Amino acid sequence: MDRWLLLAATLLALIGSAGGMLAVHHGHRSRSTVIWMAAAMACQIAFLSIRGEIRCVCPLKDNGEILVFLSWSLTLFYLLVGSAYRISLLGVFSAPLVVLFQSIALLPGVLDAQPKKFDEGNLWHEMHSATSVLAYGALALAAIAGVMFLVLDRQLKEHHLQSGLFRNLPPVRELLVSLERLLWLGGGLLTFGILAGVLMPHDKQVLGHLGHLMAAITIWMCYLLLLAVKSTRGLTGRRLSLWAVGLFILSLGVFAFV
Amino acid sequence: MKLLCLGLNHRTAPVEVRERFAVSTSKLGTAAWELAAMKGISEGVVISTCNRTEFYLVAPDARMAFHQLESYLAEKTQLAASVADHFYRLEQASATRHLCQVVSGLNSMILGETEIFGQVKQAYQAALEAGATSTVLNRIFQRAFGVGKKVRTETSIQHGSTSVGNVAVDLAEKIFGHLKDSEVMILGAGEMSRITAQSLVSRGARSIFVANRSYDRALELAAEMGGSAVRFDEWQTVLERVDVVISSTGCPHAIVHRADVEKARHARKFRPLFFIDIAVPRDIDPAVGEIEEVYLYDIDTLEQLAEEARSRRHLQIEQCERIIDAELAKLQLPGCGIPNPRKGIGTTDEH
Repeated sequence: MDRWLLLAATLLALIGSAGGMLAVHHGHRSRSTVIWMAAAMACQIAFLSIRGEIRCVCPLKDNGEILVFLSWSLTLFYLLVGSAYRISLLGVFSAPLVVLFQSIALLPGVLDAQPKKFDEGNLWHEMHSATSVLAYGALALAAIAGVMFLVLDRQLKEHHLQSGLFRNLPPVRELLVSLERLLWLGGGLLTFGILAGVLMPHDKQVLGHLGHLMAAITIWMCYLLLLAVKSTRGLTGRRLSLWAVGLFILSLGVFAFV
Repeated sequence: MKLLCLGLNHRTAPVEVRERFAVSTSKLGTAAWELAAMKGISEGVVISTCNRTEFYLVAPDARMAFHQLESYLAEKTQLAASVADHFYRLEQASATRHLCQVVSGLNSMILGETEIFGQVKQAYQAALEAGATSTVLNRIFQRAFGVGKKVRTETSIQHGSTSVGNVAVDLAEKIFGHLKDSEVMILGAGEMSRITAQSLVSRGARSIFVANRSYDRALELAAEMGGSAVRFDEWQTVLERVDVVISSTGCPHAIVHRADVEKARHARKFRPLFFIDIAVPRDIDPAVGEIEEVYLYDIDTLEQLAEEARSRRHLQIEQCERIIDAELAKLQLPGCGIPNPRKGIGTTDEH
């Protein structure tokens, strides 16, 4: 049942993604993407509920669950931010990433077919996992806003203003404001996740946990440094976007191997 | 009963003639009521904009109705009889088609402009409230509004700006979104920069700074635009706070160099900066455009973008006409019973 729900969520996001891209290509606003993404989110919630019930803890115990949780948080922030800051096109850019993450989760072996039940979960451990993945959802969306800025910036710089994509992209200033707010939100959640990670017990697999925590702290410090530089000295939109994209890719890479 | 249209527009009459027939917005209802009250005329709507005045009426005898209306207008405007040459007279399907073209912006001076839709709607509403319309005009106008909406939704007849000023303003909005948080500096108090700055102000730009070699002229323009004058040797200081710079100085060499902008970058915290260079020779060194957060557009680029938009709109005409044809054909509207070969834009059935 859980796999079917995940498959449904992936297909819904795929439809939202394809429909959105088609609309943008024809120069229209992608009004339906938000509906498909909301439907995909409903399936993601159902999937996570079932897995949570089986495991008796927050469903973040295998790579597949982490990827679905990340997709869920990405969708959540898109639904919150996309409508709030008139950057609904963010959905057209987010949907493919959701499809990618969930497709990887659907690959054989990524998601535990027989999820193990945990007798008792540690509060700090679960807080660390949940807030960290939520943080990466916000940071993923910041990276997507960064990509959108880079596309728009290039079109404006090179005077290529006729595409449907150009017409639908939100203004430069709004993109940068959203990007910065998402970075603050992601940074804040990551701070909480790191604190919870420090406070959770480290008695087993000490080296593995330590490596994971050190990687998380390094990424967190990079984000904090980026925000500090942006707030004090200032940063061009292009550099802020490149850093947001680069750091997100780096964080994914680090956690894939650590 | 026949649907008739008597009118003149920017293609058939010069402004000195058009202005004599203009009806103010507040008097459109009265004018429509007067039209419908004429002998042999049962319904009437009067449309009046800066580019056209048109009378839509319903009457059993076209020749008599036109004659009566023209005599009334001649008497009212005290113009010579030759003024009648400026009128176009349309009947039945031609009149309906013409109304659809007008509402869709196909008959406008700026092809595809959207303002006309609201103006016609306002004129119809005034006539409706004055009790000057009934079955025929109500159905025709409602249908025409539907066609106008369809044309705008299904084609790109209104896409893109067709004047240099509007292209610049659209770009500013693409960069800054709402202009209410944006500040503008004008370098050189020329006519083009004044027009462009005024467009920005009309879309909400927060404040305007005018720098000109003649400080008196800067003061004059600043007062006119509700902005502040700046001495010409102080424009670099103002650069630290503004978002848009419009330059048109008439200076034979560049006055804004890369170094000037580089100096202001830290103080600006690397915020986006939009330069509009409408001077020939150019006022802004092209190297300024290489700075990351700077978007630089010169007169040629703006003109080219406007021209591209105009061409794209013209390419849409046929598609718009097809929509109008299809919409009129599938509805058995009064006045549309007679099959009518498609007419070109601006062509009228003159009698």
